[in-house]
Amino acid sequence: MSTEVKKSGNRKPCAGRIYSQLRVCLLSVKYNIMREMLNKVTFVSNIFFMILNNATFLIQWTVLFRIRGSIGGYTMKEVMLLWAVCASSYGLSNVLFARVFALPELIINGKLDAYLVQPKNVLLGVMTSATTASAIGDFAYGLIIVCFCGFGIGRILLFLLLIANGALIITAFALLLGSLSFWFVKTEMFGEHMLNAAINFGLYPDGIFKGAVKFLLYYVIPTGMMIYKPVRIMTEPDLGGLAVVAGYAFLLLAVAVTVFYRGLKRYSSGNLMSARV
Amino acid sequence: MKVIEAENLSKTFRVKRKEKGMKGSIRAILRQQTEEIKAVSGVSFAVEEGEALAFIGPNGAGKSTTIKMLTGILYPDGGKASVLGIDPAKKRKQLAYQIGTVFGQKEQLWIHLTPYDNFRFFGAIYDIPDGEIEKRIGELSDIFELSGLINTPVRNLSLGQRIRCEIAASLLHRPKILFLDEPTIGLDPVVKENIRSLIRQMNREFHTTIFLTSHDIGDIEKLCMRVIIVNSGQIVLDDSMEHLKFIDDSLEEIIMKIYQEKGREQPAV
Amino acid sequence: MRKYAVIYRSVLMENLQYTVNIILGFISYFLIIFVFINLWGYMYAQPGTRIAGYTKEQMIWYVMITEMVWFSAQSQVVSGQASVDIRGGNIAYLMNKPYHYTLYILTRYTGEWSIRLPVYAGLAAITGAAMVGTLPKFGLPAFFASAASILLGITINGVFKLCISLTSFWVEDAKPFQWLYNKLILIVGTVFPIEIFPEAARPILKLTPIYTVCYGPAKLAVDFHADMYFEILRAQILYLAAGVCLMFFIYGKGVKKLYVNGG
Repeated sequence: MSTEVKKSGNRKPCAGRIYSQLRVCLLSVKYNIMREMLNKVTFVSNIFFMILNNATFLIQWTVLFRIRGSIGGYTMKEVMLLWAVCASSYGLSNVLFARVFALPELIINGKLDAYLVQPKNVLLGVMTSATTASAIGDFAYGLIIVCFCGFGIGRILLFLLLIANGALIITAFALLLGSLSFWFVKTEMFGEHMLNAAINFGLYPDGIFKGAVKFLLYYVIPTGMMIYKPVRIMTEPDLGGLAVVAGYAFLLLAVAVTVFYRGLKRYSSGNLMSARV
Repeated sequence: MKVIEAENLSKTFRVKRKEKGMKGSIRAILRQQTEEIKAVSGVSFAVEEGEALAFIGPNGAGKSTTIKMLTGILYPDGGKASVLGIDPAKKRKQLAYQIGTVFGQKEQLWIHLTPYDNFRFFGAIYDIPDGEIEKRIGELSDIFELSGLINTPVRNLSLGQRIRCEIAASLLHRPKILFLDEPTIGLDPVVKENIRSLIRQMNREFHTTIFLTSHDIGDIEKLCMRVIIVNSGQIVLDDSMEHLKFIDDSLEEIIMKIYQEKGREQPAV
Repeated sequence: MRKYAVIYRSVLMENLQYTVNIILGFISYFLIIFVFINLWGYMYAQPGTRIAGYTKEQMIWYVMITEMVWFSAQSQVVSGQASVDIRGGNIAYLMNKPYHYTLYILTRYTGEWSIRLPVYAGLAAITGAAMVGTLPKFGLPAFFASAASILLGITINGVFKLCISLTSFWVEDAKPFQWLYNKLILIVGTVFPIEIFPEAARPILKLTPIYTVCYGPAKLAVDFHADMYFEILRAQILYLAAGVCLMFFIYGKGVKKLYVNGG
């Protein structure tokens, strides 16, 4: 009997397992978006206001460029590109994996239980279980800006590739920070602020930073690899650079996933029960 | 054949304490005080295939913790558990294909979607082929009388209809064991009765083993052949329904007596 | 009044537990200020230059104070909670309690920021003294004037944010309006002093909450004049009075609508 059980689905070949996992993830994302679209007015206004919201920062940069023509080696056009990469990467991550940003709340309140009784990957199940409508606005804003700065199929494909990579980086970073809650209950805010910092730094030209700060931006928070380097690749396409950012994303993701699963063991050991008995 | 075996199962939690008032708040910043609580201590039992078991006890007695250990959500820190021959702590995913869970207070359905969409989602999660899932949805919607509401978003359903959908969803993959954690909580008597008869039907027709926790005496009396009562993390009674009824006409009185005897020793968590 | 004092005390006690979080939150503040120190360091290439009449130190302190107000005034209660209460129908229970709902929310808001503000102020002062340098015109009068003006500014901010949340009686989602308000404060008010904008825009900016919430308090700290203090104080009192009237008006209308339509 046992061999029969093995054949009948529990132990599918690897490709089949990946396919069925992918199918569940896509279905999740689809349902999430359907849920957000239930109220069409809210859905559209959330997206629209987010685009508008991002556009308001053009005021700040217009003012700054009135004072000096070039800031940290960037002109207005490059700053817009900077915003495009940042907004679209963050947006994409929030459309697909919004729940990763709420990980501490799920951990502390014991809400991972529901995913633990499902026979699918816990991490993917959790991450894809929500979406943010306004993130679609973020994603769209970057695309609009890129098209506005110079339209071209190749350029847009490159942009999409870079922001997909950027979305992976920010997702991994959020996962890493969120997983800290498995050990320290009160790191929720710290993680949030670190994420904000990663994004906020990315909205300013790296040329204004010097020495140690540059180090921080490339090695402590992922802003450099997520935003600055892609902006440079967009202005001067370079394959080597592309490989570097992709490698970085992969590495960060590997670390984050490892930490998450270490933490999940702790979760299952009930060491966090203090918060949820 | 034994489908669930628990041997000396134990779980201890560390719980934070905070003292009262402003002073306590300030002190808590400086130094966390913790205390250990034995949620489950040395619980042993076995469940036969096709059995319907009521696992009951007062709030904080360790029921949920036990269910969590049997389903692989929590790892025990003492003793052993084996469900369908699988160690839940080690092969959680493999076990998940073969068990179903219904938590009365936690919804597993996407409330903005229709039951049908939900069932399709569960079908994908449990790798049920498209043709097969349609067949099973049809089957379950006949048994659970869902045909009229299968295309209404879950949030527009009544609590009773929702729980029917919850149970149907947890049966799509034909689990061998169904864990029900207070499935009838908050339901009116008619709906309760309806849910009970459905569960009973599942138990008989598909030979599904039922593991039920409930505060509702009716659930226990009408559904289960056997009762285990836990209190303060320990089993205080494990007996067949028939035998219990032989001791006293009213199951409620037996249970109340046991709850009160042991209940004062340790405050509920 | 006593019941509001009790509410205030409970929120204060609740939030005292999160002091560590507030201090951690300062990291984020610090990082933002750090960006501005770098940005303005770059913009003021030659020492001694002035932009819009501000020295580099004044410009950075300006941002430090406006950001401090911004961070201290971050509150789920006035922005999110009120909207959730109204949309979720919880308001029906809350409005029959023996306190005024809006004042209850504002009291909780006050309880939140009155822990955050001193922590931020202390940490910001240390950061500024270490990384930016002192301001020549800053003395006791400037300290008291700007402190008083900060307290008023944060309160005005809360009243306006609550007003926006109260529109939830009519609109499905007040979040977009919260955003717009936040953006106005954050982009126009927090980053630059009003003087940096073109001449034509300044009178308009003086009419927005920017003047009373961010510009006033920060300007008093970096460039104190007694007559300016009275001008800002007057504007703040007018704003607060108008804001509170508006708040009661919107709430009254909303509750009436609720009684008519039954939520």
